[in-house]
Amino acid sequence: MKNRVWIIIFSAVLLVCLGAWIFITNFNFSTNIVGIYQDNKLIKTIDLNSVTEETEIHLNSEKGENTILVSNGHIRMKSADCPDKVCVKHGDLVESGTPIICLPHKVIIQFENPQSDVDAVAGAK
Amino acid sequence: MKTKRLVFTAILTAFALITFYIESAIPPVTPIYGIKLGIANVFTLFALYALNPYCAAAVLFIRIVLGSIFAGLGVSFIYSLVGGIVSFLLMILLKRFFKKDKIWALSVLCAIVHNVAQIFTAILIMESWQIIFYLPVLIVSGIIAGAFTGVCAQITFVRLEKHIGNFNP
Repeated sequence: MKNRVWIIIFSAVLLVCLGAWIFITNFNFSTNIVGIYQDNKLIKTIDLNSVTEETEIHLNSEKGENTILVSNGHIRMKSADCPDKVCVKHGDLVESGTPIICLPHKVIIQFENPQSDVDAVAGAK
Repeated sequence: MKTKRLVFTAILTAFALITFYIESAIPPVTPIYGIKLGIANVFTLFALYALNPYCAAAVLFIRIVLGSIFAGLGVSFIYSLVGGIVSFLLMILLKRFFKKDKIWALSVLCAIVHNVAQIFTAILIMESWQIIFYLPVLIVSGIIAGAFTGVCAQITFVRLEKHIGNFNP
């Protein structure tokens, strides 16, 4: 085969792989699933990466009322009618931190998918 | 004449080793593990064309073992070894189809196969198939790095060809 043929073959492979790489980096494969529990029962799961606009979730029970604010990648307790407001002061739910807990109303917000490949990634370095 | 070949192989191994060592001291340009130029492979390719496959194997595997000891034996040794074995087998199998003006093309093929083999090694070691998403970018890196080292080896071989008979009886 001529040199030119090889150059064309390798250029084609190069372009295809570049395209695949751009596609992979722009396409979000990861999920970020958060579960909301009340009275130890799972009442809602949300994939934070698929949330496009800010929404509010209202939880009403005989114990009181909670408002949860969800936006892309973030979830936090916006307001609660309990006296201490620990859950509101907690701020955003972060993966390395503790779950958001509203003790008086028995509401828990936590991640549903503990990423087991974190250790593998750390071990690669 | 055998001594001359032995000395020539040893010199090429030393060149490959010092190039490998200097390259490993340069900080990586990208955060992606496995993208590098691999200039040391110029000497393996050169030995394959100027001497014989045994000398090329010596240049490659002595360089990998000693280089890993110099740069610190770690997981990278396994990756280097697997990539080295797979791409070297491909190299000696395909050498007959690639004359001296196609050394660069053989180099690109071997570089791609080298990187693909390392990805599959990484998948086995880390038990995480998600690493396969690095395949396209490592193929791109293999084509560029392979073309560079291949062109270097080809230019060196073509220029030194008429003197090589002295070292390879």
